[in-house]
Amino acid sequence: MTRFKTACKLRAAVTDPQREQGNRARELQRGLQRWAFALVPALGVIELGAHAVQTRSAVRDGDWKAARDFVSSQSRPDDLVAFAPRWVDPVGREKFGSRLATVEREAPGDVTRFPRALEVSIRGAHVPALAGWRRDDEHRFGGVTVTTLENPAPAHVLDDLVSMVDGQHLRVFRGDSECSYGHAPPQSGGLGFGPGVPADRFACPGGGFVAVSVVADLDYFPHRCIYAPPLGGAPLRLRFQGVRFGRTLHGHHGLYVEAERERRGAPVTLTFRTGDAVIGIAVHRDGDSWKSFEFDTADREGTVATELVAEIGAPNGDRRMYCFEADTR
Amino acid sequence: MKIGPFSLRGPAFPERIGWRDHGVGAALGLAYVGWLLATARSLGFPRDEGMYFHAAIDYVRWWRMLFERGRDAVQQGAIDSAWGFNHEHPALMKSLFGVSWWLLHEKWHVFADASTAFRLPGMLSAGVAIWITYLFGARAFGRRAGVVAAALLALMPRVFFHAHLACFDVPITAAWIACVYVHWRAQERRSLGWTLAAGIVFGLALETKHNAWVLPAALVPHALFVHRHALLRGLRAGRVALPASLVSMALLGPIVFLALWPYLWNDTLARVQWYVDFHLHHEYYNIEFLGRNYFGPPSPKGYLPTMVVATVPTVTLVLFAVGAADRIRNGARRVRAWLAEKLRRPKGAVFVRDASETDLLLALSFCASIGPFFLEKTPIFGGTKHWMPAYPVLAILAGRGFQLVVGAMRRALPALAGRRLLAAEAALLVCLLAAPLAVTIHSHPFGLSAYVPLVGGTAGGADLGLNRQFWGFTTQSAATEFLNDRAPRGSTVFIHDTTWDAWARMQEEGRVRSDLRAVAAPHEATFSLVQHELHMNEVDYDIWASTGTDAPVYIVEHDGVPIVSVYRKP
Repeated sequence: MTRFKTACKLRAAVTDPQREQGNRARELQRGLQRWAFALVPALGVIELGAHAVQTRSAVRDGDWKAARDFVSSQSRPDDLVAFAPRWVDPVGREKFGSRLATVEREAPGDVTRFPRALEVSIRGAHVPALAGWRRDDEHRFGGVTVTTLENPAPAHVLDDLVSMVDGQHLRVFRGDSECSYGHAPPQSGGLGFGPGVPADRFACPGGGFVAVSVVADLDYFPHRCIYAPPLGGAPLRLRFQGVRFGRTLHGHHGLYVEAERERRGAPVTLTFRTGDAVIGIAVHRDGDSWKSFEFDTADREGTVATELVAEIGAPNGDRRMYCFEADTR
Repeated sequence: MKIGPFSLRGPAFPERIGWRDHGVGAALGLAYVGWLLATARSLGFPRDEGMYFHAAIDYVRWWRMLFERGRDAVQQGAIDSAWGFNHEHPALMKSLFGVSWWLLHEKWHVFADASTAFRLPGMLSAGVAIWITYLFGARAFGRRAGVVAAALLALMPRVFFHAHLACFDVPITAAWIACVYVHWRAQERRSLGWTLAAGIVFGLALETKHNAWVLPAALVPHALFVHRHALLRGLRAGRVALPASLVSMALLGPIVFLALWPYLWNDTLARVQWYVDFHLHHEYYNIEFLGRNYFGPPSPKGYLPTMVVATVPTVTLVLFAVGAADRIRNGARRVRAWLAEKLRRPKGAVFVRDASETDLLLALSFCASIGPFFLEKTPIFGGTKHWMPAYPVLAILAGRGFQLVVGAMRRALPALAGRRLLAAEAALLVCLLAAPLAVTIHSHPFGLSAYVPLVGGTAGGADLGLNRQFWGFTTQSAATEFLNDRAPRGSTVFIHDTTWDAWARMQEEGRVRSDLRAVAAPHEATFSLVQHELHMNEVDYDIWASTGTDAPVYIVEHDGVPIVSVYRKP
């Protein structure tokens, strides 16, 4: 009997703490369950707090100005200045002005030609095109961060055809008819108009312009380029004078987004020639968006072409709002 | 039975709802209308609204003609000249916009702004939606649930935005919930009055917007289920005994629809066919979703859930989830009990039978109003406005959720009583309504740009690549923030997505300076506006190329997010 009692006591000594622990756990669970309703009003309060924080987190004007002054003092002419996230770009352009946020920087063919970039960002965003670049420096101005990035393999551009669109460096022909270079009122419109036509441009007999414009690709990114819509029939010939050759002829081409996105248009062919020799042919089909091309010119490296001809043709000209950019490098 | 902290019982016991409740509902609705009227002047005119203003004037001219020269008015020439404009939408709301304009602006000068008179019927429909939501919630789950349901519906930023407009999206929301409510009452009361009302209200819904075509998908199966025993008895006896409310809807609905739309009085079949075809094969306008512009089918299946989560206050959705889980659990218990009964193994579950099958009706109504937006072919260009008829039900279930939270609080704090309990409940209500109220107030007048804190607010919506606006109504903000003060006299303005009618009305009402002249192309303008949407970027680039500058001189922002850029020609 004594032994039995002792055994019971021993068992009780062992099991009571376990039972107590179990009771405590159950009590805690019941308590948590009882008070779980409080999560809902707590969420309401958190939502209100988040709203208060978010509506006060817009970047202050002073931060933008400080960032602008810094970029202005640091940037070189061949630097890229880019804003992130993408939606803040209009604000960046407003705050930085068109001397810093130039069209050339805002609407590049691609970023390969820039040896360095000053990325101006808010909310921790980054420019995707600069993902592989080396971070060199970072400065914070309140809500704005300016990051200096080095291009690991910058291209050395010899001549940029877009910057040669003027009466001195370019002659334009549609078939055998020469298009005259001049100054006239620009042309633009609302949604669906197509790329804007600047005041300085080539005007072709029978209609059509060639000029530097900005085209929106299928993702609505801007690209500064030579607007040269083929009208069908006789091809458009752009004869660039005195182009220096490097190892490659590099460029991109595309169509105005509204002309391309339904994928119903005829392909556009861009042929580069010098003398009788064809340097390369690039074909743009609807859906290609902003498409790159590169032709080997190593055998001409170091020479200057008397005339580099860019010939643009399409089986028909229906909404072929075509634009290209190219450089020698 | 419990789900977490929330006690789950059988169907709620409806309180006795009487004229005082109509007073409460009407007061809530009128307070909302007052708020809408107080904020209407700061909201510009969207593209569609300009069209409806125009149509409203044509239509009221005809109604006046009908009373003055009835015989002339019913000639086809007179009908077609008045009703031919904007005949892709039914006539009810546009007629009301017109009558309101004629009486309250032209004749009695109650409203100085013609636009406010045009908009009043739409605002009143928002009030009606709130009123009915209260009544429905109160009858189904109790007064507390009704009040919270009405408040949460009112405090949805997108509802608040659309409730200002002389458009059809909030009116069809009101007509939808009215139809569901009347149908519900008709099943319960089974009186001639409610039966006739079901048909008439359905006709009014058809005459408000084509969302009403989907209503039978909710109401027919519900009525058949409610009357299933009678139907089966009838079938066994060799007769078909259809529920009277459905018969009323089938007969009176089309009659009301046709009677109120004079355009259909001639060439009726052909014109009805055209109307149906127009909406079944509607043009796909584009809209941005997660950084991609959608121009047509297939529409992304995640669009509706994402947009609901991004635009309806999160606390409202959580309350809805609590309320909906309660009703689903309750339904599951019923099904289990029914199965047990069928298998002759009763477990003693006791249910207070809800003869009106309220839960089923709410579920069917909710699913019918959102269902089409999971189809690949359904256009999504309207953002959230096209599924707003789902929101009163969402709010009613959120009201039920609130009731459950209150119940859980009472159980957690059994010592609270009297004033202290009242104070605790009031504090709970404040905690739950404060965020929706703050978010809704802050969203105005950029209701289409604003997103809820869960996704980071307006900037978070922009980060996610969600649509920022449509319809070009934000030109008024550009005028009030910049142009009216800083544009030289006689300046020309490229008004981008804003219609000429909208611009003219803004000038007429003194919202935009009257000496400013609208032009159609940036190169003709001293100032050019760009209302930011993804596909409108091309207009930015057009301006860069044609004017030589890419730097706006001013930007209308909401929480730092660009809404409208203002360029000045160098």
